[in-house]
Amino acid sequence: MNAATRRAEIGGLRIDNVSFAYKNEPVLRRVALDVPEGQFLSLLGPSGSGKSTLLRLIAGLEKPTRGRIAWKGAEIAGPGIDRAVVFQNYSLFPWFTAQGNVALAVAKAHPDFSRPQRLQLARDYLSRVGLDDAAEKYPFQLSGGMQQRAAIARALALEAPVLLMDEPFGALDPVNRGKLQDLLIDAWKSSSPRRTIIFVTHDIDEAIYLGDRVALLGASQGGRLLAEIDVPLHRPRQRADFFASTEFRELRENIAERLDEDIISSLATI
Amino acid sequence: MFRIMTLKGSSDEMSELETAQPAESGLASDEGSSAINVHSFIAWEAIALWTFILLAWQVASFFIDQEANPLLPAPSAVGQALLDSLPELWKGTVSSFYILLPGYALAVIGGTALGLLAGVLPGLGRAFFPFARVVSPIPPTVYIPYAIAVLPTFRMSAVFVVFIGAFWPIFHNAAIGAQSIEAHYRDNARVLGFTRMESLVRVVFPGSLPHIFAGMGVGLGFSFILLTVAELFGANAGLGRFIQYYADFADYPRMVAGIIYTGAVTWLSMTLLDRLRHRALFWLR
Repeated sequence: MNAATRRAEIGGLRIDNVSFAYKNEPVLRRVALDVPEGQFLSLLGPSGSGKSTLLRLIAGLEKPTRGRIAWKGAEIAGPGIDRAVVFQNYSLFPWFTAQGNVALAVAKAHPDFSRPQRLQLARDYLSRVGLDDAAEKYPFQLSGGMQQRAAIARALALEAPVLLMDEPFGALDPVNRGKLQDLLIDAWKSSSPRRTIIFVTHDIDEAIYLGDRVALLGASQGGRLLAEIDVPLHRPRQRADFFASTEFRELRENIAERLDEDIISSLATI
Repeated sequence: MFRIMTLKGSSDEMSELETAQPAESGLASDEGSSAINVHSFIAWEAIALWTFILLAWQVASFFIDQEANPLLPAPSAVGQALLDSLPELWKGTVSSFYILLPGYALAVIGGTALGLLAGVLPGLGRAFFPFARVVSPIPPTVYIPYAIAVLPTFRMSAVFVVFIGAFWPIFHNAAIGAQSIEAHYRDNARVLGFTRMESLVRVVFPGSLPHIFAGMGVGLGFSFILLTVAELFGANAGLGRFIQYYADFADYPRMVAGIIYTGAVTWLSMTLLDRLRHRALFWLR
């Protein structure tokens, strides 16, 4: 079996020895990572580990300096509507209503739809994230949590098989954060076929609670993959039980240790 | 601010300041700035200043013989002249706006379209910015005699001059607006699969509106200046013409009334534009 057919068989997302440098400063070094279709992968790392950059590379917003990224065997050459993105803030255009923002994605997923059909589907997506009453509101009239809900609705409305999320709940208070985490899992599980989600976070608990697998990025030597750790806890995960379980605590300990080692070795290089 | 400097010639520093400030205050807090505008009109300091000026004018006119056509007519005489001339002034306004509106509208449409395109397409930018740098600092008033000589009618030449005066500030600001669109808007447009045209219409244009309105404000100011100056040259009607006409006849009450009336029309137009800006930029909170 040659390499090409093996790649085609693997499917999913393949990150093949990707390096990225910004103004000759290495941001990512030879990251190799495979994400099977339908998996929820948490991309965890401290700031400076290049986790957001890796997400931007997958989104096609930047090009790797070396290596290649492929989705189902096809190399990613730029942004495409097979990959939806939710950013930490500022996903929505402030001059469109929540519904208008979501309708932009609907128009791409269903170019044949009439305007009323687009708006109706946009409304459906908004009600899936609990924003039935906020459809006509503009982003500045929405709280941070509601804005992120709308951003998720817009990403879902693109009906892309891949969902890329860059610290989407990073600016939210703990209560809202928890609600949106569960909402995201519900949306992910209720879609079929299941989306492949890459979720960037610097919060260890969040990474474990959400992910099937955690990819650990370190900041030492300019952004590299430290480890890939499977999360053995099965779903559905009940928040309280989950965080109280021994498996979770061991996993958390293990990850924290590895991140500490990375921080220490990055200090040593200075 | 730096981009404005590089785009504009150094000879029109005044318009640089005017261009930069509305844009920045608009971005900071739209609600706040217009609240201050309204407030400053009814603040007691403002009323005190108005009262002082009117009183000083009234007092000054006591010491000037009002019988023999004074250069400084009393407020009452000017008020009377203003009332008497209102029909004529209204006709002048209509005539002036026949020049102002087409010229200004063309400048808004052309300046916005070309400015946005030059800001978005690097090739077009490289072609236009050096040209704009050389041509835009030329005071548009110097075109007036030539425009009157070259173009077949006075109206056409006046429209052209008004257009030139308003075009550059709007062009500059639209280009700056397009170039300084925040990166995350671009990212969102790209991940949503927008075509260049969609991106221009749905993202770059609305995102540049704060700058475009700043340019429109400066452009409207220039338009009024150029309109009235052009009318001094060769019009047979209009606001500038009204003032010139009564100055020639040494009818100073009417002349001063014309100045005050023109000021009021300009202020009203600016206020209307400000209202429009406030409505269009509702999302800037």
